Amino acid sequence: MSDLATGARVVGALGARSIRQTFRRPQLMSPIIVFPTLLLAIQTGGAGAGIELPGFPPVQSFLQFMLAGSMMQAMMLAGNSGGIAFAVDIEMGFTDRLFASPIPRFAIVLGRLAGTAALGLLASLWFLAIGLIFGAHIEGGIPGALLAISLITASALAVGGIGAAIALRTGSASVVQGLFPLVLVVLFLSSAFFPQELMIEPAKTIAEYNPFSFIVEGVREPIISGIEAKQTLEAVAAIVGIILLGLGLSARALRHRLRTG
Amino acid sequence: MEAATVQTQAPSEWRTNLATIAALVARAKNELLRVPGAAIPGVLAPTIFFLGLNGVFGSLIHLGGFEISSYESFIVPVSMLQGAGFTGAAAGVNLARDYEQGWVDRLLVSPAPRWVLLGGNVLAASARAFVPATFVLAIGFLIGVQWPGIDGLVVCYLMVAAMAAVAACWGSMLALHYKSQSAAPLMQAGTMALVLLTPAYAPLELLQPWLEKVANINPVTNVIEAARQGFIGSVTWGDTWPGLLAVAGLLTVLGALALREMRRTNV
Amino acid sequence: MPAIVVEGLERSFGDVLAVQGIDLQVDEGEIYGFLGPNGAGKTTTVRMLTTLLLPTGGRAGVAGFDVVAEARQVRATIGVALQEAALDPLMTGRELIRLQATLQGLPTGEGRKRADALLERVDLAAAADRRVGGYSGGMKRRLDLAAALVHEPRVLFLDEPTTGLDPVSRKTIWEEVQALNDDGTTVFLTTQYLEEADQLADNVGIIDRGRIVAEGTPEELKGEVGSPHIELVVGEGAVPEAERAVAELGKLRPRKGEGRVLLEVEGGAADIPRVVRALDEAGIGVESLELVRPTLDDVFVEKTGHHLEGEEGGGDAEGADEPEAEASPA
Repeated sequence: MSDLATGARVVGALGARSIRQTFRRPQLMSPIIVFPTLLLAIQTGGAGAGIELPGFPPVQSFLQFMLAGSMMQAMMLAGNSGGIAFAVDIEMGFTDRLFASPIPRFAIVLGRLAGTAALGLLASLWFLAIGLIFGAHIEGGIPGALLAISLITASALAVGGIGAAIALRTGSASVVQGLFPLVLVVLFLSSAFFPQELMIEPAKTIAEYNPFSFIVEGVREPIISGIEAKQTLEAVAAIVGIILLGLGLSARALRHRLRTG
Repeated sequence: MEAATVQTQAPSEWRTNLATIAALVARAKNELLRVPGAAIPGVLAPTIFFLGLNGVFGSLIHLGGFEISSYESFIVPVSMLQGAGFTGAAAGVNLARDYEQGWVDRLLVSPAPRWVLLGGNVLAASARAFVPATFVLAIGFLIGVQWPGIDGLVVCYLMVAAMAAVAACWGSMLALHYKSQSAAPLMQAGTMALVLLTPAYAPLELLQPWLEKVANINPVTNVIEAARQGFIGSVTWGDTWPGLLAVAGLLTVLGALALREMRRTNV
Repeated sequence: MPAIVVEGLERSFGDVLAVQGIDLQVDEGEIYGFLGPNGAGKTTTVRMLTTLLLPTGGRAGVAGFDVVAEARQVRATIGVALQEAALDPLMTGRELIRLQATLQGLPTGEGRKRADALLERVDLAAAADRRVGGYSGGMKRRLDLAAALVHEPRVLFLDEPTTGLDPVSRKTIWEEVQALNDDGTTVFLTTQYLEEADQLADNVGIIDRGRIVAEGTPEELKGEVGSPHIELVVGEGAVPEAERAVAELGKLRPRKGEGRVLLEVEGGAADIPRVVRALDEAGIGVESLELVRPTLDDVFVEKTGHHLEGEEGGGDAEGADEPEAEASPA
């Protein structure tokens, strides 16, 4: 029990540190908040007429439709930023200090993920607030908003695991940073920014099977119409799958790093 | 007053200044040629945006208001200009890095005029912008972008080079003001906003009212229209001169601000 | 005409006065050593004299030109090798010196000739076409020095040119600086190393917390301090007792490092037996004993009350020398 308590304390402390790091370095905050907000404004302003297209889901506004995609974008960039910060810690030798401490090894990874999840939570709150301020309705009400926030926070944990795995494996911040375009690719090949049925091939087919599309739909449904069991369960399944993948890869990468130094 | 090594004759001073600019441009190419993979992010980002936007928003073409049936032709100049913006912002980030590492001191302690030092950085960005622009265009042609004609191509590349210079002035201004790479997001966000707060995704008439108002004021709207004209129709002087005027104005204002910051580095 | 004239030079960063009204003069053909601990104001002074920083008070002239009003002329006549060797790791040594030649306004052909000659001079000819990123610390300093010389400057500014170098590389730099001076170049050298100032400088200015506290030739300054002192190593914990035991035999000096006692004695070596006897009677073991003649550090202690070398922490203005870039005014 006391090992669990220690581990929880360590995870909390490292999580708090990773949040503080992000707020103290604007170049880490910017991709999480500034760019997605800018893109949200530009895309709603530029492509907003798209809701007139036949086949577009019934929505109050394009902003209402886009909120989920923006939250996804911010969450994924938070995962990438977390990976970069973790890699910087490795390059600076800070993780060696942690490895030399009497703390559970995996707590080091979980601490980083806790930080990323907190940033995901922050991002979801930010975009919900933006949406409400600019007139978007959350059709699912408070339960719908809470569901959206929970799914995004859990997704941040999932994506953060992948970022942490890459950081542990490569130990290089520039490698992790170089994956930023991949984040964009994954988002564009999903239904984050437009209904999958109205996308152009081959993006349309890829989006149909992209697990991030399931997550986006799970986050979007409570906002544009209300909580639907199917979309929610599909989103949860996708998140669980990515969490297992991320945690599995992180554990392997951690073992490799501890073995090889 | 002694002036033992100061050159005061105008022609040789001009030659010296041009040689200095050329040397600084030559140095800037090292980043592309000597760092493996350095060119990739600058090329990849606009290409991903181009393909992504086309795949995501391509159906918008079915809305009334578009003069052509090819969304990729509509947005390819936007992605080329976006690439130019990224390249210019990167020039600012590199200048900030040079500042942090002390390299800029080497330039500032030389007798080269400040505008020459700035000009080298800006011109290098203009030249580098051709790389992502050409890559995006090549991919565009592969997926069906219409041939813009030689005149359309020339005007488009002119706008690309000028936009990169504008972004480099913006980035350099911020780099010299903050003297730190932490200003990088501001450089990138600024150029992104400049290029995309325009009829980038759809014609003016189809934009939301607030964006239509902003786009009407944003000088880069004229730059995009000038760059786009060959891809969606024919090139006319009427669509070209506003773009030239816009870049000239932006270069004048941002160039002056950047030069001011360069002159104030010792304050 | 003096090569450098400084009158009441000041520089503040917000509320911090990093350089507090200094006066100095450097004659042509002189090596002037500017000695002080970290944060004393050395680099700030050099940056003002090389036009990289505007003074907030006073004036300065280099090679007859005012550093503010005639900054461009100053830059044309000086060579600078700053504390951080400002080198581009992606360039080769040869490319860098050629670029410097272009920046200084030399025609291409002449620039190339001088670059080749300088690379030979600083023993980098073999590495000239390798990227600077692969050079050792010593090689980088030599390259930086060569770049500073490409236009044959009248005045050369060297800001801590041997900090971080091994003894062999340091000696090489010293030899080169001496050779330059023998050719007629005025050298303004900042350093935190006593030996460097002692060996190289014709005149030394000692700066602490933004003020010049002493100035003169090394011999003049050491002569002012006077007596030699005995340096004892007695082991940790025994210092207070040892100081009590010998206090009446001379004048105790400020502590320097752990386990050391410093005692000024008028009789020099003749006083050693009395000191040893006093410690023996007090039951204090002596690990080592040395008679030390005055150094520039002694001059520093005399003027400031603390050591230049070997003491924890520098001056009060630590970090005030060059504040964070973000903090400088817009």
